[in-house]
Formats: sequence, C-alpha cells, structure tokens
Amino acid sequence: MSKEKIALCEDLADVMPPEYQELVATATFGNQDRGWKDIGSSKELIEQHSLCAGCPESIAFRFIMSSIPNPEDSVFVGSTGCTSLVFPQVGIHNIHSLFGNQNAIASGLQRALAVRFPDRVKDVYVLAGDGATVDIGLDMTMQSWFRQEKFTTICFDNELYANTGGQESGLMQKGFVAKMAPVGKKFEKVKLPEIAFESGCHYVAILTVSKPNRVEQAIRRATYVAREFGPTYIQLYTPCILEIGKQSMEGLDEMKDSESIGGRFVMRELMTDEVKAFIKEKEAEDKARRKQAKAVTA
Amino acid sequence: MNKKVDGQNSRILLSEKVKVGSKGPVNLTVADPNEMFFEAKRKPAFLTGSEVIKEAIRRANLDMSVAYPITPQSEAAALIGELFSEGYLKEYFRGESEFAVMGQCAGAAFGGARVFTTTAGPGTLRAMENFPMWAGSRLPIQVCVTCRGINSPLSIQPDTLELYYMLETGALVWHAETAQDLYDWILGGFMVAEQPDVHLPLALACDGFFVTHTKDNVMIQEDEICLPEYDPYRSPVPCMDMEVPPIRMMRDPFVMKSNYISYMTHASWQQEVRAAIDRSRKHTKVIMGGSLIETENLDREILLVSSGTAVSQGREAIRLLEEEGIKVGLVKIKSLRPFPFEELREATANAKTIFVPEFNVAGWLAREIKACIPDNQRVIAGPHVAGGMTMPSEVIVMEIKKGLGMKVEALSGRG
Amino acid sequence: MEEQYQVLPGPEAFLPPAAASQGIVLPDPGQAHIEGRLVDEEEAYEYAARKLLGGKVPTIFPGPLVLWKWNEKAAKKASAIRRLANALPARLIPMADYRPKYPKIDPAVEINPNHPNLTIWHNKIDVCIFVGVHCHQANLALKIIRGGTDCYTIAMCAQAGHEDACLSFRDISPETIDKLAATVERLKKEGVESQAIPFEQFVMSREGVVKGDV
Ligand SMILES: Cc1ncc(C[n+]2csc(CCOP(=O)(O)OP(=O)(O)O)c2C)c(N)n1
Ligand code: SF4
Ligand SMILES: [Mg+2]
Repeated sequence: MSKEKIALCEDLADVMPPEYQELVATATFGNQDRGWKDIGSSKELIEQHSLCAGCPESIAFRFIMSSIPNPEDSVFVGSTGCTSLVFPQVGIHNIHSLFGNQNAIASGLQRALAVRFPDRVKDVYVLAGDGATVDIGLDMTMQSWFRQEKFTTICFDNELYANTGGQESGLMQKGFVAKMAPVGKKFEKVKLPEIAFESGCHYVAILTVSKPNRVEQAIRRATYVAREFGPTYIQLYTPCILEIGKQSMEGLDEMKDSESIGGRFVMRELMTDEVKAFIKEKEAEDKARRKQAKAVTA
Repeated sequence: MNKKVDGQNSRILLSEKVKVGSKGPVNLTVADPNEMFFEAKRKPAFLTGSEVIKEAIRRANLDMSVAYPITPQSEAAALIGELFSEGYLKEYFRGESEFAVMGQCAGAAFGGARVFTTTAGPGTLRAMENFPMWAGSRLPIQVCVTCRGINSPLSIQPDTLELYYMLETGALVWHAETAQDLYDWILGGFMVAEQPDVHLPLALACDGFFVTHTKDNVMIQEDEICLPEYDPYRSPVPCMDMEVPPIRMMRDPFVMKSNYISYMTHASWQQEVRAAIDRSRKHTKVIMGGSLIETENLDREILLVSSGTAVSQGREAIRLLEEEGIKVGLVKIKSLRPFPFEELREATANAKTIFVPEFNVAGWLAREIKACIPDNQRVIAGPHVAGGMTMPSEVIVMEIKKGLGMKVEALSGRG
Repeated sequence: MEEQYQVLPGPEAFLPPAAASQGIVLPDPGQAHIEGRLVDEEEAYEYAARKLLGGKVPTIFPGPLVLWKWNEKAAKKASAIRRLANALPARLIPMADYRPKYPKIDPAVEINPNHPNLTIWHNKIDVCIFVGVHCHQANLALKIIRGGTDCYTIAMCAQAGHEDACLSFRDISPETIDKLAATVERLKKEGVESQAIPFEQFVMSREGVVKGDV
C-alpha cells in the first residue's frame, strides 16, 4: 500500500481510536530511511502486547518493526509460540496458521505477491521461535532455502519452547535440564547459522537484541539481499527470562553475557564476497541519500 | 437441516471488476462463466481423468499450483506443470511434502491468489492439519482428491476412506462420478468457493484410477475462453497483501485468552464456517444442474443411494435387475458438504429399502444417510469393497437380492 | 412442517445457532432480508428507517473498509455514513480493527468483533448498523450480539448480505447509504419522530476524547 493510502476517511477520522490517529499522523510509513532511532519520536507499529514483563522478545519486536525499510509493503508470517501474542498488535499484515509451517506459508505468499504485484517490491518476513524454526518446521525452513525463496527468516532463539512451558528445543544448549530433558539435553545446540549458509542463504546473522543498531543493520541487509539474491536468515537471542529464572530487568545482562568473547551469541555474519560487495554498495547509497536528506532539511 | 433452496438465483454472481472479453492467459479470452458453462459451444474430447483436470485448469485463469507426486494424481499434477511452462498459470513448483504443499497453497491464497492442487490417500492424511486451517482462514483453495487407499498396509488403489476424514474439516466436499463431472466442477468449483458469502476451500473428490486413468468422452468448450480472475477484495476477511485495511491485522489471531476475549468467538467462528458451507447451496445448485443430487425413478420401493463411481456401478446393477423384473431407483449424491439433507429426505420418502454401495470399509456414506432420514432401519450399508477391489455390478445385484430375502449364490471372491 | 427460524433480537441462547444453518438464505441482488424473510430492497429501506428512528440509542458501527481511505469509494461511503448518522441522529462507534485488543477495549468509544456485546451493553444500544466490516468478522459479531443482547441489528453489506443480522441489505454503495438517509428524512417529514435519547457525538483526537458523551 502506498503511504498515501494509509489514511483515514476525513468524515469519520474524528471517531477513530487515538492509536490509529497517531499511527496515521506520525508513523514512519513511506520513509525508507526509518530505523530504531525513530522509537520515541514517532508512532511505533506495535501496540501493547501480553508477553511477560521484561521479555526480550518485546524489544526485539520493536527494533525489527522500526527497522524494516518498507513496512507499507511488507507482510510477516509467524508461527505458534510466544511471538504470536504480539502479532495481533502489529500494524502490518501478518499470518499465523499452524505451528512450524511458517516457511511454507511464506514461500506461497511471497510468490503470490510477486505474481500479483510484478512492478512493486513486496517484502515477506518469517518471524518464529526456535522450536518452530529448527524442530517441527526444520524441513520447511531448509527446503525454502534450498529452493531459493526470496524472503528473510528471523528466528527468535530463546533456546527452549517457551509457550508450552519450557521444554527442550534443538537450539537449547547441551546439558541444560528442562522439561522433557529431565537429565539434561543430550546433544549440542544445532548450528543453524552454518546450516543456513550451506543450505543456500545468501546472508546469515546471529546476534542478541542488546544493541538496536546491530539489529537494524542485520534486518536491512537481510531485506536487501533477499530481494536481489534469495533467502536470508537472522537468529536473534531473546532469552526466555521466565524459564531460565531471571527477573524482568535481567534480560539485557543475559544477552550481554552471551555475546561477550567466547559466548554463544557473539555477533557473526556469513555471506559470500558478492553479497558483501552488494551490501557495501547499497549502504553507500543509503548513506548518500540520508546525507542529502539532511542537507535539504538543514 | 437445510431448507431446500430453489428457484432463485440461477446465475453465478461475479465481482464488479470482471471484464468479460478481456485478455486471459496465453490466447484465452475472459468469459462470463454463466455463458461459458451453460451456453458456450462444446466439442467432444476423448481424455483420461488426468487430462481432463489439465483441460479444466487451462481454462481456470489460475494463479498458482503447488505439486507433490502421489499415485493416482501424479500425472495430473505434472500436466499442470506443462500448462505452467506454456503460460496458462503464473506460478508452479514442487513442494517438499503434502503438509508443506498445503501450507504453500495457503500462503498463496492468503496473498490473494487463485490456487489449485491435487493429492490422494496418504497425501491427504499427511496434509490433514491444513484443511481445517484453510477453512477457518476462509481460503478458497481447490484441492482435487483422487481417492486412494490409506496405510497400513500401503495401497495405491482406489478407496474412498480418506473422504470420511475430510467431512468435518470445514471444506466443501464434492464427489465426482464421471470425468465430465470432474471437468465441470473444477471450473464451477472456483466460482462457488470464491463467492464472498462462501469463501471456503473445496475438496473435489474423484475415485482414483476409475476416473483418473480411464478414458472418457468429455464435452469441453470449443472457444478459447477462460474464467474471470479471482478478486481477493471481495473476501470476507482481509487479503494479506497490505493493500486493504485494517493494516493492524493478524490472520488469524488466538481468540482464547479468557481475560480479554470471549471463548464464544471461537465457537462462533466455527459456526460461521459451517454457515458458509450452507450458504454455498444456492451457488452450487447453479453449477450442478439444479440440485445437489440427481435422481431416477424415486417412486420405486428399492433405492440405490451413492456417490462417486459407485453410482456408475449402481446404474448397471439397476439395468441387470430390471431384466429380472426387479425395479430399483437411484440417487446420486454430488455434494457431501454441504450434505443434501432435505433433498435426500424427499428423495427417499417412498423407499422401503435403501442400499448404499461404497468403495470403503467404513461405510461412511451409509452412516451419513442414516443420520439424515427418518426410519433409518431402511438403510442397508452395502455392498462394500475396499483396498482397490472393483465392485462388479453383479455384487450390487446380489446384495439387493439378499436384502430382499431372495436366495442367491455368493459371487466368489476374486483375490 | 417445522416452524421457520426467525432472526430476532436476543438474548437468544448461550450459544445461538448461525442463521444460515437454520435455513435462512441470503437475499439475491435487488432483495434484502427482514428477520430472515426475503423482501424487495425497497421494503427494507422503510423498515430499517422506522427501526432506527424508533430506537433510543441508535448506533452506527463503521468498520475498517469505510474508516480507512484506501480508495475513493471508501471515502464516499464514509461521507454518506456521516450524513446518515446526522439525519437520524445516531451515534458513531468505530470497529477500527478485528484484533483481540490488549489489554481491553473501551466500550464507550469502540466495538470489537470478539466481544461486541460489551459495547452494546455499556451504551444500552437497542438498534445498530454494521457497515464496512469484513463479512466474516461481521457475522461473528452479529451472532454474539444476538446471543447475549436485545439489540436489533442491521447490516449494510457491500457483498452478499448477512443472515445473522435481523435485517440486511446487500451490494451497498454510497448511493444506497444516502437512500436510507433519504428514507429517514422522508419519514421524519411524514411525522415519524426520532426516539433517540439526546446525546452529543464524541470526538476523538490523538490524545483521547475531546468532547461528547462517552
Ligand atoms: C502441531 C502442533 N504441535 C505442538 C503444538 C504446541 N506448541 C505450541 S507453541 C510450542 C512451542 C513454541 O516454541 P518456540 O517455537 O521455540 O516459540 P517460543 O514460545 O519459545 O517463543 C508448541 C510445542 C502446536 N501448537 N501445534
Ligand atoms: S514465556 Fe519466556 S519467551 Fe514467552 S513471553 Fe514469557 S519470558 Fe518471553
Ligand atoms: Mg523458543
């Protein structure tokens, strides 16, 4: 939808709830240089949600929704899990259907939108938990990469099944004692970033959501590369504070610990040289445009 | 219990955006389906059921199909691929499993595409979680189910047990007897399933091999015409393409949080899907020649009631019995969902004995009929065959004679 | 012969049936339905206008398809809806979206399809119009309202109509909305008085309610 169409009918605008009046007035639709820095100065695309207080998934959602470059023409696909408590409140069309089928849905959706809107860029994103991505949905996750489907897969890695009460997941660390892993998990955390790269993802990033600029950069890169090359994958550590016994204020520390040297979530990016060169060029373009925009407003 | 829908609305209603005469795929021209189905000149074509599917899809103005091989639908699914290579549809690929394929079809339908796929037996069961999701999400996808046996043990042969599983998915379920049914209903099916007051998936069933792999004369449109394209903005739910409000929209959200949502929403949602099935009656009638059932000689005391190719076998059995002076009437059930309650009650009003031949071990159609008509001790569930067995007309003849208390010699098993 | 089901205001049942499963059939083009009875559209204008004028708290619930200016026709429908609200007079309470809104809705100023009864009860609405709501969501809401409230529901549907409403038009357009408003004006001239309890329509800004009764 063009930004102009995200508008209220004048004759009924003054009965609309305040959150929509604000969305129309100040959200950053139509601004390809939007980013996490708009948080606070513009209406965010996400309303209240019912995650646990302090759950890092919530800040991850806010960073992602403020960073996607083309929200007026983006559609998200989710899966069953804690993330699906947030999605109804997101100001972007999004699909939940079953648990684990997200990359299959996104494959059909992205192709349908490409067929229906050949002259427009419509970005499709999957955003699902680690159980959905790596366990029940792994077949469809990887097959969409093999097939070179042009969308970005984002995994909220909280290293367990949060929504069903903290069971073992493939991305859980070895030895962790959890429900359904009563004597500790017997095998290593699945190396999905490497698997993703080997399976055909053109850009892979693994990081925590402690630093918004990093999240923004990964999201923008993944989006651009998905449009031009094919599948991209981002794995974000969003610890489930409830199930690992942390307080609501401790999520950030947990993420920082895990990304310090030697930690499992030290930021890494995997890409080919060709993609690297493309990103460099694209980011130079972005920079020049922003500079020019600044010069005009100054 | 449905009210019999009659008389009114003898036309297929179209989106106001439809431009009859505009260009369709390749060399086809968009037609008014009312003309295309009922008036356009037709020519005979001698085709297998798989080829019939291809010819119907050629004219369906389809956006997308996703395929996965399983006998007996593999040929049809591959032929649709040929159509894709010729430009008759815009997207086509092989998915990784039936579960994934039905998800891919759903994704495309969420995005506003007209979608068709095919499956059978184990594929239908592998995909099963998707069908109620399709219906609950109001996705008008058409899946052609070419019925075959369900494991274990494995069988690739015709058997209609899988349809029993389909009946409460919330999808429309139709059962074609012949290749002509298949052809007409694939095209008509899109027009019914996409009505804004229906907007549900359609499982169009036919019996594997008996229909898919035998050649039959089918009357197809002579002119190079096709259906109008699907208009996703008539949908009863927002299309997920960011082109329609509200943009703060999840399909479909959890409606089960007791603190801020009524559980009744979920119950009402399920009722609404069933209501949409009922609303399809008046549209379906138009493309099924006026009724969800077809009847012959309802004044007779003995009736054969069935669906699919069991009806064809029944027709021959009736002829054989007639030679012996035993008069039997016939009811062909075309639509299983919606189920023709009222029509069946009326059609069976005079019958003293009702036989229900079926190609499955469960006898689900007999159960459906028993649940719908008064004095249901009149229903004799049989004869049954399963696992790919044929049902010679003589077997039906025998069953009827036995049911009438006549002495008959058993037709020996042919395993 | 079984008695024909009628689509009447509730409270009908703990879980009322969908009217379609009770044998109620939707109108064809040119028709409307009144309580399940198929009638000529003309009859329904008069009937609906009288129902609306007779209500103490007549209310219009515009949905996303007419609240958002996603095309020119939507804007025209919105203008016509405002004219109809003024002609009656009727309150305007939006159904801005269909999400299960967290943490809760404010029933004075919004209605939600997942628990529309809250808004009906809170404002004591006795007759209402659904317009610009996607059909699936409208049907859920209409049925829940019939289940738990005594509100008379009218649907102005741009598609095939709603048998779960007590009265439903189909194929509506800016012109047909205006036609209903014109019928209201005519009846008023003929001496039919609005029974609406006097109210001031609320006005909302980005900060919240600026004026009006809530
Ligand atoms: C077919 C199916 N199997 C199991 C479930 C139950 N289930 C719902 S959410 C969930 C776990 C989600 O884990 P994850 O994907 O890691 O998301 P999180 O809640 O941790 O964010 C499971 C097992 C389901 N809904 N559907
Ligand atoms: S259960 Fe865990 S992942 Fe889910 S909302 Fe709570 S803290 Fe977040
Ligand atoms: Mg998880």
